[in-house]
Amino acid sequence: MVALIVSLKLTLLKNSLKRSVWRTVGLIVGMLYALGLVIAALIGLLALRLAPAELTADVTVLVFSLLTAGWLLMSLLVFGVDETVDPAKFALLPVRARDLLPGLFVSGLIGSPGVATVLVAAGLVVSWSRGLGMTAAALLAFPIGVATCFLLARVGTTALSSFLSSRRFRDSAVVLLVLLGAAIGIGANLVGSAARPGSLELRQVLAGGAAIAGWTPFGWVWAIPADISRGQWLQAGLRLVLALGLVTVLWVIWGYLLDKRLTEPVEGGDASKKVNKVSVGTNASLVERLYPATPAGAVAGRSLRYWRRDPRYLAGMAAVLIAPVIVVVSQVANPDGSSAVAAFAPVLLGSLVGISVAQDLSYDGTALWLHVASGTRGADDRAGRVMSTLTIFGPVLVILVVVSMVLTGLWQLVVPVVALTIALTLIGAGVGSFVGAIWQWPAPPPGANPFQKGSNGGLPSLLSFSAAALGTMILALPTIVLAIASFWVGWLSYLCLVVGVISGLVVLKLGIDYGGRLLDRRWPEAMLSVSERTG
Amino acid sequence: MALHGLCKTFGAKRAVDNLHLEVRAGCIFGMVGPNGAGKTTTLSMATGLLRPDAGTAQVLGHDVWTDPAAAKALMGVLPDGLRLFDRLSGGELLHYVGLLRRVPPADIEHRSAELLEALGLTEDLDTLVVEYSAGMTKKIGLACALIHAPRLLILDEPFEAVDPVSGQGIRSILRSYARGGGTVVLSSHVMELVESLCDDLAVVAEGRVLVSGTVESVRAGSTLQKRFLDLVGFTAADEEGLAWLHSSSPSS
Repeated sequence: MVALIVSLKLTLLKNSLKRSVWRTVGLIVGMLYALGLVIAALIGLLALRLAPAELTADVTVLVFSLLTAGWLLMSLLVFGVDETVDPAKFALLPVRARDLLPGLFVSGLIGSPGVATVLVAAGLVVSWSRGLGMTAAALLAFPIGVATCFLLARVGTTALSSFLSSRRFRDSAVVLLVLLGAAIGIGANLVGSAARPGSLELRQVLAGGAAIAGWTPFGWVWAIPADISRGQWLQAGLRLVLALGLVTVLWVIWGYLLDKRLTEPVEGGDASKKVNKVSVGTNASLVERLYPATPAGAVAGRSLRYWRRDPRYLAGMAAVLIAPVIVVVSQVANPDGSSAVAAFAPVLLGSLVGISVAQDLSYDGTALWLHVASGTRGADDRAGRVMSTLTIFGPVLVILVVVSMVLTGLWQLVVPVVALTIALTLIGAGVGSFVGAIWQWPAPPPGANPFQKGSNGGLPSLLSFSAAALGTMILALPTIVLAIASFWVGWLSYLCLVVGVISGLVVLKLGIDYGGRLLDRRWPEAMLSVSERTG
Repeated sequence: MALHGLCKTFGAKRAVDNLHLEVRAGCIFGMVGPNGAGKTTTLSMATGLLRPDAGTAQVLGHDVWTDPAAAKALMGVLPDGLRLFDRLSGGELLHYVGLLRRVPPADIEHRSAELLEALGLTEDLDTLVVEYSAGMTKKIGLACALIHAPRLLILDEPFEAVDPVSGQGIRSILRSYARGGGTVVLSSHVMELVESLCDDLAVVAEGRVLVSGTVESVRAGSTLQKRFLDLVGFTAADEEGLAWLHSSSPSS
């Protein structure tokens, strides 16, 4: 069974590469990137072999704990999980979850992140090859640790995605996601800032961090060789039991979740899929009153409903909110932190708007045919998506500006902060409208696990992401320069506000017009690139 | 609708190969052909969803590819195998399409109500389309194609998965639509249906039109089923084949 599933994965991978040059390029870029990281990590681990045992212990425990936490967090927020071999496809076959698990486990590790993790974890054995006991412990920790990484990511994404698709837990799941991301970001930030003062203190911080990390679920397994090196056999045994227990529990949960998917492969079996009458009465009229009864208004209204009903948008919202929350909280919580940085946190969120607008078209998937066949003007499509995005982000931005001002008390910065936020949001929306017309890619459909990305997206999504972010920054440069200059020459902040608003509106108008015209010319091509069979 | 010299190649496969087809106004036109004959590809090119490698598609005198806005405004389309905005309820989806098609909001209201009534979807007005069965999804798709009162309807497999009662409803809608001067082009696998519903038809295989004309002239005294099998070159399978299927053994 294992061999069968692994060969299935390899065949699928091979066929998807055969179909698209973009994917091949994307895979190679990803592989080169991973290879660079792996080589750097292996050199580091090799060097640690020669370092004192105490240092090796602290560094490896901390780094590998972060790696494990990174698997969970990155899968939730950035990369998603690779579901090339989709377990739901096995629903019709007479197999049980426990027959599939080992095969899915091995096949899930085939791919850049999995292979990289295996290689780096193998490097741990090199670092600890200083005696029979330590080598044996590292050899033991290696497979358990890799399994922990992988299973945490799988179980985490599956559990959270079922939360996101159930109406009742949806909002709390978004909040949970933001808090989880923010907590880890803030933790890393605090450790980093505490480490600044000098190498002796750095050493202490490292030891302290390692001690804490070693007792979190992420670090249990990686701390075993370190315990052996200190001769603390009992503690090593305890951690081994904990680590094995964690893997077992995760394995059982994964099996349970898989069994559920084999019997109900259609996700989101949510009881209340019927839009209830009351909410339609108020909701529909509200959405319809909010926007004019034009094609652009219709696109905006439809898109706004999707922000509420589609887990993919909610997951994206959470990912976007994390960065500013981290900045505000960590700068305010940290006594050495600069509160001016926190005051500018809303700017960060504003700069992410463009990326969101740019990917909106791809999220429609093949449902986009409706816009193509009805002859919807590209500019209407663009304008509608911008309107709904601003409807969502506008209030959030206002709240964030007020919160960051109240927390930092730096009201004298309010003008440049508002100027930058407005400029980046509007310019981002304009750039996103244009960039979104250039690149589209097949995104997972709304019912699917929002964390499932797999081989989808690839290079076009990466290009779209970078171009939207970079374009926004470049076009906002005049406003940014003026905002910085206003630190010294106060009245410039008002000029900054004027320039920010005007340049924002101009870029928005141009982005919608040119993006729309581009889309008018290449609707069929856009249609082709959101379809799965794209070449 | 007039298609001339349409070609489309996917990789090494020639999906549509120099296809010519003319449909006269005011008739119900059936397109039949085996799986992979290029029906969906042809209809996609006729509706502006897929750019042809060569050839032209005209709708009531407007070229779909040089004057898309005018051509698309005249067409109502029901594609096969593409998603709908299925996180909207049936009513919301219909309203959305109406606004995209620039139908005045007051007209959208009463047309929606009538269409949902005629297709038996009134009770599911507030259910998200993602929860609809395959047949209901077809029906709401048909409603979306009709909301702006098009002059030409292009329907890819409109009867697939639709129950007989609703099927009858759709037939009478299409007949009265054609009587009112509208033109319908539909594709189907079901010969009996095409025989009883359509005025004209074309048999398509391997990306070409094998024969086209009135239903009478195509079936030429025989049944359509028999003529179709002759045309696409079907040879009866060996009755002795697949013998292992006859008794199901628990071991295999």
